[in-house]
Amino acid sequence: MGLSGGRHELPVVSGAKDGSASFLTTKLDWLVNWARHNSLWPMPFGTACCAIEFMATAASNNDIARFGMERMSASPRQADVLICAGRVTYKMAPVLRRIWDQMPQPKWAISMGACASSGGVFDVYSMVQGIDTIIPVDVYVPGCPPRPEGLIYGILMLHEKIRGESITKPELRKELPVATEPALPDEVVEAITVPFGNSTSQNRIGGLVPSGALVRPRDRRP
Amino acid sequence: MATKTVEYLIRRNPEMGVDGRPVEAPVLPMGVDPELHGEHMIINIGPQHPATHGVLRLVLELDGETVVRCTPHIGYLHSSFEKLGEYRTWNQIVPLTDRMDYLAPLIYNCAYAMAVEKLMGIEVTERAKVVRVILMELDRIFSHLLWLGTTAIDVGAFTVFLYTFQERERIYKLHEKYTGARITTSSTRIGGMMADLPVGWTDDLRDFIDTFPRTLDEVETLLTNNQIWIGRLQDVGAIGPEDAINHGLTGPNLRAAGVAYDVRKDRPYYDYDTYDFDVPIGEHGDCYDRYLVRMEEMRQSLRILRQALDRLPDGPINVSDPRVILPGKTDAMTDMESMIHHFKVVMEGIKAPPGESWFSVESSKGELGMYVVSDGGSKPVRWRVRGPSFVNISTLPKLVEGHLLSDVIAINASLDIVLGEIDR
Amino acid sequence: MSENFKDAVEGLAAGPAASDAGAGPGRAAQADASSHPTVAALREAFGDAILHHEVQAGDEHVVFIPADRNVEILRWLKEQPGQEYDFLKDVTAIDFGGGRPLQVVYQLWSIRHRQGLRVKAELPLNALEIDTVVPLWATANWLEREVYDLFGIRFRGHPDLRRILMPENYAEGHPLRKDFPLRGRFSRLEQTRRALQLDIESDYTPEELAVGGAPSLPGGPEAAGAAGRRDANRP
Repeated sequence: MGLSGGRHELPVVSGAKDGSASFLTTKLDWLVNWARHNSLWPMPFGTACCAIEFMATAASNNDIARFGMERMSASPRQADVLICAGRVTYKMAPVLRRIWDQMPQPKWAISMGACASSGGVFDVYSMVQGIDTIIPVDVYVPGCPPRPEGLIYGILMLHEKIRGESITKPELRKELPVATEPALPDEVVEAITVPFGNSTSQNRIGGLVPSGALVRPRDRRP
Repeated sequence: MATKTVEYLIRRNPEMGVDGRPVEAPVLPMGVDPELHGEHMIINIGPQHPATHGVLRLVLELDGETVVRCTPHIGYLHSSFEKLGEYRTWNQIVPLTDRMDYLAPLIYNCAYAMAVEKLMGIEVTERAKVVRVILMELDRIFSHLLWLGTTAIDVGAFTVFLYTFQERERIYKLHEKYTGARITTSSTRIGGMMADLPVGWTDDLRDFIDTFPRTLDEVETLLTNNQIWIGRLQDVGAIGPEDAINHGLTGPNLRAAGVAYDVRKDRPYYDYDTYDFDVPIGEHGDCYDRYLVRMEEMRQSLRILRQALDRLPDGPINVSDPRVILPGKTDAMTDMESMIHHFKVVMEGIKAPPGESWFSVESSKGELGMYVVSDGGSKPVRWRVRGPSFVNISTLPKLVEGHLLSDVIAINASLDIVLGEIDR
Repeated sequence: MSENFKDAVEGLAAGPAASDAGAGPGRAAQADASSHPTVAALREAFGDAILHHEVQAGDEHVVFIPADRNVEILRWLKEQPGQEYDFLKDVTAIDFGGGRPLQVVYQLWSIRHRQGLRVKAELPLNALEIDTVVPLWATANWLEREVYDLFGIRFRGHPDLRRILMPENYAEGHPLRKDFPLRGRFSRLEQTRRALQLDIESDYTPEELAVGGAPSLPGGPEAAGAAGRRDANRP
C-alpha cells in the first residue's frame, strides 16, 4: 500500500505488516498533521455575502492570521483549504470543480454558509443544492452568513479533523476520478437535493406538495 | 419641487500636469517596429479571481498590454431572486432583498418596502421615515467603506482595507444591535419596520458619527495626494456625460462624469428635499473622480445622519393598519381575536391591490429601481429589480478600451459593483 | 375592540382598498391624457398608435403602444425637443401566465425635464419578437439580452443576442416564464451533470475565439465560429 491516487507513486510508509499504524507512524502523523493544520493557506472561493463575512474574519477584529491563514492564495496551486463562501450556481459549478482539481493534495474544503452547504434559501433552478455534490467537503459551517466566530469555529473543527488524520490512510488523499461527474453517487445526490420541509414545497397554485426524489421525463438514463 | 442641487467641482491635484490640465496617459505602444508581426491574445480573468469583486468573468483581447476589447461574462451568481419572489408573500421577500446587495442591505430592504407601500397606498409614520433615512445613509457609508477597502487593495494599498473594515465592524455592531444580524438585516416590513430602535442605539450612532471622520481623514492622507494612487487612477477609465447617460450609468459613476443626477434630489422621497446636503459632482469621469465623489458622499451622508438624528420624532414605528401590521405580542398572546388576526396575516400574507409600482432609490451603487406588479394576491406577479451594478458593469467594455491590463482592475474596482445585484 | 377587529378581518379578506386598477392584470381605467404633458403630445403625434394610457400607484403614467412601432415612438420620445427622454432606466418583461400576452416594459426618464414615463408593448405568445432599441440607448444592450434569456423574447437587430445570466448550454428554456417550474425542468442530478460537463474553456463568443486562433479547437477560427456559439435551446 502506498499513497496512491496521484500520478506519482509516493514512497510507502507503512507501520505494521497489515498496514495499520505503528509507533513510528503515529509520531510521524503527529508531526505531519501539526505542520499541516498550523498554517492552512485558504483558497478564498468567495461568491456572495459569506465572502464579506470571510473578509471580516480576515480583517483586524477577528483575525485569522493567528491561525497562519492570512496568506490568501488566489491561486489554487498554492492553497491548502478551499473555503467556499457563498452560493454556487450551476454555471459556476464546473469552475469550482476545476479549482478543486487544481489544488494539490493535501487539501480540505470548508463549505461556509447555508447556501454552500445545502443551497440555503435558494431552492431554485440555477443553484447548486450543496457543493458537496461537486467537491468533497470536510467541514460545513452553517449560518446565513455565519458570523466570523462561526467560521473560526469551523476552522478549529478542521484543525481537529486534520489532527486525527494519518498518513497510513491513503484514501484520505484520494482525488476524484472523473472531472465531469458529481462528487457523490447518483442516489445520494438525488436524496440530498430533494426539496425538504414544507415552506420550500409551496408553489404558486396550491399549498403543500409532497416531496420525494424527482426524476423528470427528459433526463438521460444514468 | 426639488431643492436646487449645489454642485461644486472637485479640485484635482494641481501637481499633475504642467498647466493644470490632465496629462495624456500613454495608451499605445510607442515605436513599434513595422516588421514585427504581432498577434492579439486572449486573456481570461475570473470568474474566480481575487480582484473581480465577485464572480465576474472578463475576457480581454490584448495587443501586448493594451486592451483592444473586453467582454464581461456574468451569470455566475444568478440566484433567480425575481422568480423566487413570485413564490413568496410580500413580507417574505424582505429577507431576499438583503442578499442581493449584501454590501448595503438596509437600502434594499427599505427600497423594496417603499415600492410595495406605494403600490398599496400606505404612508408610513414619520418616525419610520426618519429611521429609514438613517438606515439608508448608514448603509451608504457602509457600502462605500467596503468599496474603498477593496479598491485600495486592488491598487495595492492593503492598510486602507484594514482601516475601513475596522470602521465597518462598528457599523456591523449597529446593525446587530438593531436587527439582530450583521449583514442580512431583513429589517423592514410592509408598513413599517420589524421593531423600533433599541434604547441607546441613537447614542451609539452619534458616537460613530463623531469619530468616523477621523478615519476618513486618515485614509485621505494616505491616498488622495499619493502619487501612486493618482498615477493609477487619474485619467484612467474616463467617460463623458452624454455617453454615461446613454449607457445608463448611475450613481457616483455618473456624477463623476459631470451629470448632476441624484434620485434624492431629482425625485426626492422621505423628505430628502428638506435635508441640507450637497451632491458632489466630478468633472473628468475617470477613476480618480469616482474616488473623490465617493469620499465626499460619505461626508455628506454624515451630514444627513446628524440632521436625521436631530429630527427623529417620537411615535409609532409602524402604521396602525391592521391589514398589514401584526398586532402587538401581548395582545396576540392574550386576546383571541388578535391571535386570529396574527394567524391570518402570517399564514395568508397581506394582499396588495392589482396594479404596479416602480420606486427609485439612490443606492450606494447608483439608481436602484424596484418594480412590483400585483394581481390582487398575496404574492407578486412580477418583481423586477433594476440593479445599478448590472448596467454599470455593462459600460466596462467602453471604459477599458485602449487602457493597459492593470488599468482594467482599477476601472473595475472604481465602478463599485456587487455581483449579487448584477446576477440577481 | 370586536367591531374594529371584524372590520379588520374583513379588510384582510378583501385586501387594501383597490385603486382604479381593473381586476387582474388587465388594463386599468383610461386616464386623462392631459395629466402628463408627454402623453398629450404623444396622442397628438401618433394618434391611434397610443393604445392606452393609465396611471398606476398614484403618479406613474403608463402608455401602451403597438409592438411594431416601438422604435419609432421611442425615438420620438428620445429626440423630440421638449420630451428628451435621454435615460432608459430599464427594459423588462412581464409574464402574467395563463396564455396572456407578454408585456415588454420600457422605463424612461428625462434628466433635463425630471419627467418619467413607462411605455409598454404587448407581444402574443406565438410572436415573441420586437425591434431592438440599442441604436437609441446603448444601455439596452444588456437589458434586452436579459429579457431574451429569461423570457425568450427575440429582439430584432440586436448586435449580440445571446444568453447572459444562464449558461450558454442551458436547455431547460426561459426561466421567468410562468410555465417554467421554480426548480427547473430537469432533476437536480441531471442539472449537476450538465453543469459539470459544461466546458468552461469553450465558453467564448465567436469573436473571442477568432482572435489569434483557438488552440484547443481543431480547424482554427472558422470551426471555432461554428462551434463556439451553442444554441441555447438545443439539448
